[in-house]
Amino acid sequence: MTDKILETGVTRRSFLAAAGAFGAASMAMPGMAVSQDGKVLTVRSYSDLQVLDPAFRLSLPEEDIIRAIFAPLVNPKAGDVWGWDALAVSSIEQLDDLTVAFTLKDNIGFTDGFGQMTAEDVKFSIERIVDPALESPYAGDWSALKEVEVKDKLSGLIHLKNNFVPLWTTTLPTTVSCVLSKKAMQELGDKKMTTQPVAQSGQYLLADWQPKQRTVLKRNPDWKHEPGGYDEIHIIPIEDPATAERGFEAGDLDYTWTSVGSLPRLKSNPPAGSVVLEKPSLAYVWLGINQDNEQLKDIRIRRAIQHAIDRSTVVDAAYFGAASVGNGIIAPGLPGSRDDVTYHYDPDKARALLAEAGATNLTVTLDILNQSERLTAAQVIQANLADVGITCEIKQNDSGTFWTLGSKDGDYFMNLQLVLSRFSMQPDPSWATVWFTPEQVGVWNWERFDNAEYKALHEEGLVENDPAKRDVIYKKMQSLMDESGCYVFLTHEVVGAIHRDDVSPGLKPNGESMLAKFKSA
Amino acid sequence: MLNYTFKRLALSVAIVSLAMLLLFCMIYLIPGDPAAVALGPRATEAMREALRIKMGLDQPVWVQFWNFFTNAWMGDLGNEVLSERPVAAVVMEQLPFTLALIAGGITWSVALGIPLGCWAAVKRGSWADRVVGVLSVAVIAVPSFVVAIYALLIFAVTLRWLPAIGAGEAGDLGDQVTHLILPSLAVGLGWVGYIARMVRASMLEVLEAQHIRTARAFGLPDRMITYRYALTIAILPTITLLGVGIGQMLSSAVFAEIVFARPGVGKLVYDAILTRNYPLVTGAVLVTTVLFVLINLIADLLIGALDPRVRSRF
Repeated sequence: MTDKILETGVTRRSFLAAAGAFGAASMAMPGMAVSQDGKVLTVRSYSDLQVLDPAFRLSLPEEDIIRAIFAPLVNPKAGDVWGWDALAVSSIEQLDDLTVAFTLKDNIGFTDGFGQMTAEDVKFSIERIVDPALESPYAGDWSALKEVEVKDKLSGLIHLKNNFVPLWTTTLPTTVSCVLSKKAMQELGDKKMTTQPVAQSGQYLLADWQPKQRTVLKRNPDWKHEPGGYDEIHIIPIEDPATAERGFEAGDLDYTWTSVGSLPRLKSNPPAGSVVLEKPSLAYVWLGINQDNEQLKDIRIRRAIQHAIDRSTVVDAAYFGAASVGNGIIAPGLPGSRDDVTYHYDPDKARALLAEAGATNLTVTLDILNQSERLTAAQVIQANLADVGITCEIKQNDSGTFWTLGSKDGDYFMNLQLVLSRFSMQPDPSWATVWFTPEQVGVWNWERFDNAEYKALHEEGLVENDPAKRDVIYKKMQSLMDESGCYVFLTHEVVGAIHRDDVSPGLKPNGESMLAKFKSA
Repeated sequence: MLNYTFKRLALSVAIVSLAMLLLFCMIYLIPGDPAAVALGPRATEAMREALRIKMGLDQPVWVQFWNFFTNAWMGDLGNEVLSERPVAAVVMEQLPFTLALIAGGITWSVALGIPLGCWAAVKRGSWADRVVGVLSVAVIAVPSFVVAIYALLIFAVTLRWLPAIGAGEAGDLGDQVTHLILPSLAVGLGWVGYIARMVRASMLEVLEAQHIRTARAFGLPDRMITYRYALTIAILPTITLLGVGIGQMLSSAVFAEIVFARPGVGKLVYDAILTRNYPLVTGAVLVTTVLFVLINLIADLLIGALDPRVRSRF
């Protein structure tokens, strides 16, 4: 039998070689199939969709999608300075401490035949958030709201009960200013809006949601104002940042957050055609010390722990030198941000305080979330404490367990001794200080720090307009935290991100993405 | 055969019931408040309490178990906590991805393991036999997540021949198969070693049998003797092994699904445990348990059908 196929001169060997080459080429295609000329943007989110109702959103990626499909009155400004841009409104201004006037753009429509967006929809959307019957966890964002008054079809007044400084930083530029269709929501009745949006109105529309696979946003063809930068945005839920980084390097993603630990590697050797970003984070990480725990009731022991810990070594080790030491709960750039703390690394002083308190052979437990940077930080803290004679046992917890450790409803809160915590916040200092008030003892205040002066200052800061005075108030509050001996402030971390060089990402100053503001570079 | 089938079915029901009891106990013993985790830091105590009641966590433990047990046998797995979608629907959305992954893993393990095992048996004592032996142990010893990460780094990140993440476009079979190659290799590679060793051992036994000697004496070609007369008998223990192997692959699937950001039941359960989404955990684990028991039941019935000696023992 001849090896020639149909006498064409093609041998079986060459046919197989060609077929193999074709197969290899077709397999290579997925690596080249992303971000086609700015038409499709593929990004990673760390969680999948669960709830699209602005009143019940669960995660940042959901917020991003909600803002893209339900037009908010205003959006956060992209760039390095906190601010806001008008979106659904043609004008919005604060007339006095208690009144905000707004006028909607004239031609924003809802999908599914729910007509034009009106001031009545704004009234409904805002007032439903504070309605006790709705039980929205975000009711506090509008805690100062008295009512929304409709003036005419497109304009109205937002009346406040009291002056509320965070209104323009952490209320209006968030999803609680997204406008829903009153008619559509009333038709929905008791049924919750979870993964199926009704009456969308934003720059994008939710076109497809494949659970755990992807969410597809498409440009809203009826949006008459500045359009989104891409025809489609594909959002891929990937929890593990390392997986996302490999996906980016393989060409499957155009943009992703990275882990802080990967930043030095990516910065020194970025993948071809990519840009690595490093943004200051609003988050704060600290070592908490439970003042009501039997072994830690003596403030001298708590102060000893503060002096025993070399904060810069802890942060360098845990974040590979990518993050710097933080000096409180308020991030740089916000009123109340501090340059230093009132305690310093001084092992001799720590030993003296322990001796004065008669604390010998002290053994404490440090609870942490089971993440690599937390474990590294905990191990350095363990070594620091060992140096002054304190034995520290590290207890790793999964997220489901960790976030209930200090809850007064549980059975562990009094046994809790040291805990390595991380909270994130919005760009107003009150968002950081609120969790350490006396009301939060046993809720999120796991150190059980209970200080009436702190509480009074927190209330004062909420109504103080003068940034200089707010700065003094919030610095004083953090000094009180220092003096309690309950806190060792570690870092504000950094946010890492990587994107293709043909993508211009729309990011808040702290690196959080705003998908509707992504554009082709 | 009917008696055998009935006994195997009864045993399967008992295994599933026991698994449900164990599952419930494990979930009950896990620390953490599902309502607090689900609702996040801004929920009030009243909201958390309302959710606990909605999830039935305010009921006595035995009532919770009885409700779970009876509802599960009626096919009602309840609703997801926050999105309120039926758990059965959520699990069934993800199940095809896991089944495809396992099918891919089996394909790799069978396609490579059986020929290697046969080859090693036929070349017994030769260098080829030794190489296959060493390779088999090597691939068994390497954990699936290590295979996953290296395969991804080589074929997706460096060479860019294959995609790194996802399951491919819905409705595009070629794309889905391309997305399946690396994850299924990660899941199935270890089983190549198990199957090669099992086939080799069985083949060596069968190749010494009388009927094989007779076939050789009649001058039948080696290939025909190996594949038609010896392998058909030697393959039987491999079927049992594959039944067990599918259970192992289900657990390996979790790693593959995380590393390759693939949808699937393994990742669904992992996420649900972290968020204390108990209805989803119980529903998904129950479905995979039933699946595993069912596959083993089929393997047992197949062995019983092929080998009368097995039937006679029951």
